[in-house]
Amino acid sequence: MTTKKTLHTRRSFLQRSAALGAASAIPSTFYINHAWAQDTSYDGGVFDAGGATLNVGEWGGGWEEFVRKALTDQFEKDFNCKINWDSSFPWFPKFVTQGAQDPVFDICNWNLPNLTQTKQAGDFFLSTDEVRENVPNAADCWDFAFASGAGVTWAYMPYVYAYRTDRGDAPNSFRDFWADRFANKRGTYGTENGLMHAFFMATAQEFGKDQYDMAAAFQALEDAMPMKVSEFTFNMLSLLERGEVDIAVHIEGEALSLKRKGAPVDVWQWDSHPILTQTKTISRYADPMQKKLAFALLNRTLSPEFLNAFGDEFMWRPTNSKATITASLAENGVENTAAATEAFWVPDWDFFVENKLDITERLNQIFGL
Amino acid sequence: MGRTIPLPMLILAVLGFCYMLLPILVVVLAGLTAGEFLTFPPEGLSLRWVVAFLQSEKYLSAFFFSFRLALLTMIVATILGTAAALFLSRTRFIGRGAMRAFFLSPVVLPGVVIGFSLFAFYISTGIGLTRTIWGLWIGHILYSTPYVIGTVGAALASYDVSLDEAARSLGASPMRTFRKITLPNISQGIQAGSIFAFIVSFGQFEVSLFLSAPNAEPLPIAMYNSLRYKFDPSAAAAGIFAIILVTASVLLTNRLVNIGRLLEKK
Repeated sequence: MTTKKTLHTRRSFLQRSAALGAASAIPSTFYINHAWAQDTSYDGGVFDAGGATLNVGEWGGGWEEFVRKALTDQFEKDFNCKINWDSSFPWFPKFVTQGAQDPVFDICNWNLPNLTQTKQAGDFFLSTDEVRENVPNAADCWDFAFASGAGVTWAYMPYVYAYRTDRGDAPNSFRDFWADRFANKRGTYGTENGLMHAFFMATAQEFGKDQYDMAAAFQALEDAMPMKVSEFTFNMLSLLERGEVDIAVHIEGEALSLKRKGAPVDVWQWDSHPILTQTKTISRYADPMQKKLAFALLNRTLSPEFLNAFGDEFMWRPTNSKATITASLAENGVENTAAATEAFWVPDWDFFVENKLDITERLNQIFGL
Repeated sequence: MGRTIPLPMLILAVLGFCYMLLPILVVVLAGLTAGEFLTFPPEGLSLRWVVAFLQSEKYLSAFFFSFRLALLTMIVATILGTAAALFLSRTRFIGRGAMRAFFLSPVVLPGVVIGFSLFAFYISTGIGLTRTIWGLWIGHILYSTPYVIGTVGAALASYDVSLDEAARSLGASPMRTFRKITLPNISQGIQAGSIFAFIVSFGQFEVSLFLSAPNAEPLPIAMYNSLRYKFDPSAAAAGIFAIILVTASVLLTNRLVNIGRLLEKK
């Protein structure tokens, strides 16, 4: 048997190294999802996705059960696709770890503070303008639906105080939360809860020069102690129902759901009118078919039919001007008009995220956590 | 017959049992509440949330998914853990202590760290396990195996190796010696380890948070989501069924082992 002798020279080594280098560059040459994806467009019609899978990041529990029945089950049939639903929040570490080029979800639903945090960490999402061009129903949305700069806000709720109606006068100013009669009977949330983030910004706005006055907010929250600190909004409702809390930071729809059940509870909307939003983003580097499906799903999410059904179930308000306010909110004078939405305030979440570590640390100190 | 343990110890034992069992009682009663929210004490007693759990497609699929996952995890963790414990107890080499610590490290590290590390590992290596059931299974095995190593290792520590030597001297092969002598003698440790592996996997939350696959939600994640978005007592009702399942598993395993022993005696 003869053996072929290989001569290892400096030249051959360099040649092989160069070849390896070129080979390793091949995957990035083929990484052209982005180029294709930019050409992806959607006109609002139904199309056959050929059984493609759409990765969706969305809330779980009862929310998922309802949205599946009211939206995605039919969507899968109409578009011949499969929805991979992931409700294991938080999304931020998943997006960042997997990287922008290989998005963990094609379409994802967010609260604004978390969305802002992710948006600041990289080029993950299509811009609002890019989304608007491909989602026909977005044309009917109020302007504040695009305030995030990434994705479209499809539903919202004002932040309110939920209070017991059988414990004295109703609050009529933001500062009533600090009244002596509510000592140890006022409720707020842990530092990771979005309601606490909004409450912090609104407190800064009320007690300080503006929403950026963190020192004033810290002082005010210190003055508000002792407070009952909960993790979840529904847990807060149970504290309200049992009378362990007389006034609590909350969101309109959920608090009114308790009133609907007959509890002596009502809501008061803050003067600054901040809103809790649900915003869907579409990943910039999603594959073309997935991106087209994401446009289609967002379009259906923004449809008056779905928003009306969703509002009836969870009492969220729609951002689509053609959708209607659910009857129980409309009875309380809530309208879906340009004038009614003018006063809404979206806190500067970019500022909040940039200072989140300091805010969290200090709030934990105040709460004794 | 006189009391075999001193009264103070007996009182301590009773208090200890109460301390361990009271949370279970709270879960059971909270799941049987007639009220709208997950509260304790319950606002009247009712089976409405148990019925709601049984009618919830989401909860039931999560329950059975967790059951299957825990069962498969238990099988693999028991095999790997037993093998590792045998290796650690029967070989002498430098760094054995360090290797034992390494094998047990998943228990020492926070679950969040393990979950996120595995998640990052799957992504960086591109081995196709990110957010798949297989990836989740591996995470559960990794987290559960040290419990088997611990219990089997404890059984092996009190095991008289001369029994093996006697069997070998009488002509038994190493495999036959293991099967007929070692295995029956350490079966209690293996049994305890496998139960631990099942329970740990069934209740695992942090690892699942990062590794769970779409459309395949383990029960703890489903319960967490329910508390986040509804806070209704169906989560506690799910807890009742989880407690029943775990208790039944322990009792069943005990019974199976005892039957095995009876057959062995015949």
